[in-house]
Amino acid sequence: METVIETHALTKKFGARIAVNGVDLTVPAGVAFGFLGPNGAGKTTMIRTLLGLTQPTSGDVALLGLPQPAKRAEALARVGAIVEEPKFHPHLTGRENLKIVAAARDRAAEGRIADSLERVGLAHRADDRVKTYSLGMRQRLGIARCLLADPALLILDEPMNGLDPAGILEMRRLIRAFVDEGRTVFLSSHLLDEVEKTCDQVAIVDLGVVVVQGAVGEIAAQGDPTLLIEIDDPAAARNVLGGEPRVTHVEEEGASSLRLTLGDGLVPAEINRALVNAGVAVSRLEPARATLEETFLTITSRLEDHE
Amino acid sequence: MRMIRAEALKLRRRRGLMIWSVILTIGVIATVEAVLVVLHAVNAAHHGPAGGESNFRGATETLALLGTVTAILIGATAGSQDVANGVFRDLVVTGRKRSTLFNVRIPGALIVLLPMVLIAFAVAIAFAFLFAGDLPAPSGSLVGREFVYVLAFALVNLVMAIGFAAFVSARIVIGVLIAWNTAVTHILISFHTLGSARKLIDVAAIEHFLPGASSGQRVNMTTATAIIVLLAWAGIFSGAGRWWTTRRDA
Repeated sequence: METVIETHALTKKFGARIAVNGVDLTVPAGVAFGFLGPNGAGKTTMIRTLLGLTQPTSGDVALLGLPQPAKRAEALARVGAIVEEPKFHPHLTGRENLKIVAAARDRAAEGRIADSLERVGLAHRADDRVKTYSLGMRQRLGIARCLLADPALLILDEPMNGLDPAGILEMRRLIRAFVDEGRTVFLSSHLLDEVEKTCDQVAIVDLGVVVVQGAVGEIAAQGDPTLLIEIDDPAAARNVLGGEPRVTHVEEEGASSLRLTLGDGLVPAEINRALVNAGVAVSRLEPARATLEETFLTITSRLEDHE
Repeated sequence: MRMIRAEALKLRRRRGLMIWSVILTIGVIATVEAVLVVLHAVNAAHHGPAGGESNFRGATETLALLGTVTAILIGATAGSQDVANGVFRDLVVTGRKRSTLFNVRIPGALIVLLPMVLIAFAVAIAFAFLFAGDLPAPSGSLVGREFVYVLAFALVNLVMAIGFAAFVSARIVIGVLIAWNTAVTHILISFHTLGSARKLIDVAAIEHFLPGASSGQRVNMTTATAIIVLLAWAGIFSGAGRWWTTRRDA
């Protein structure tokens, strides 16, 4: 499969602090790729390094198959990016801000301004000054700015930040629409739920290191199986489960429900048998679908800190 | 050319900057000239004609000073606004060379500044000839030298402000360059112990083009030296600004 982003041993240091630590990343073409990590994990630094906004300390980067920085102009001509919060000249209108960036791109970019504004639903506010725009409108104007390049690759840094639920839904639809058009969307986020809903593939990053990458479903399935049980006596059930060393984690899920994490080959039927034998009535026993969140918490250092 | 027009657009849409720029150039010259005309009309015995050579010199010296302040305001804004508004990185990710992003600021700012200075200068010439009365009108050579003087003052400071603004905020650039032009350089020029080293001061080189200045006011140098000094100042500031623009984190 064709790759749009490829890094080898990419490292960025700020003094003694390592923000990106020997990252090997491969992003295939035509997918929504989530770059997931907690705040401060190095996501934005990675994006800035990919785009040449800051120079890497060491390592190699290729964008759209073109080595960076040698073929930088060629690659970035087909890349649209929002880095951190989208910024604009506040005294200019939305349309004028796009004109400024279109002037720095190829001649066809200016012809894409109207379509880009229409696409993100800002045509009716295009001639208002940007200082009157809400954050959600600025996010959309940022996307419109990306579209001026007719990008093969969109790099979006925390695109859901500051959006209301309707805005998040709209952004998700836009991202999926871009993928349907054959574009690749590389988005960073600390919102697990959003990455799971929006992306096909994901890389989880923490402390500057890519811990795991692959298809969202495959990565989510990497965690230990979990089981949701509904019982009449949660305290008694906890006692029973406390005697089973293969139950690695128990947490409450409401007044009469528990969520269990099963380890070492333990199957739900054995849990059911143990509870019934101890006189605990089980009214529901449901293997829970592993979520990206659980996998994320399992494999990132945040969980280690928590423990 | 599209990028230069875009730079000019960014500046022209700043209402405050444009209003002050027009006031400081065209506004001040037109107002002062109009007041002189009215005074002469009201009391010709006490107030001479508004035009003529000496009034023209006064007008162009005022324009040189205020045109320079305008050039500093426009240059500082042109040099800093992309970074200050957080838009610089969005321009960098277009793939354009950073040096190009810097270079277009100079002609972009020039497109905005030049018409104001030229119109103000034209107003000064018009009043000098139309209201000369019995005073001698300025000669063609005087007009030409005053024009070079006004333009050199404004252009060198425009380029210096753009280059300097790549490093620091617009406010600092404006404060430092106005202080340099109005006070520091004049103090340095007055130190005769500095000898020919004073030729290296940009204001000393600009004043070489000021017609009629007494030898006590100026540092003697050839026209070629003055031009080289001015080009060096513009080159050093723009070179430093370009260098930093190509290296800074965006």
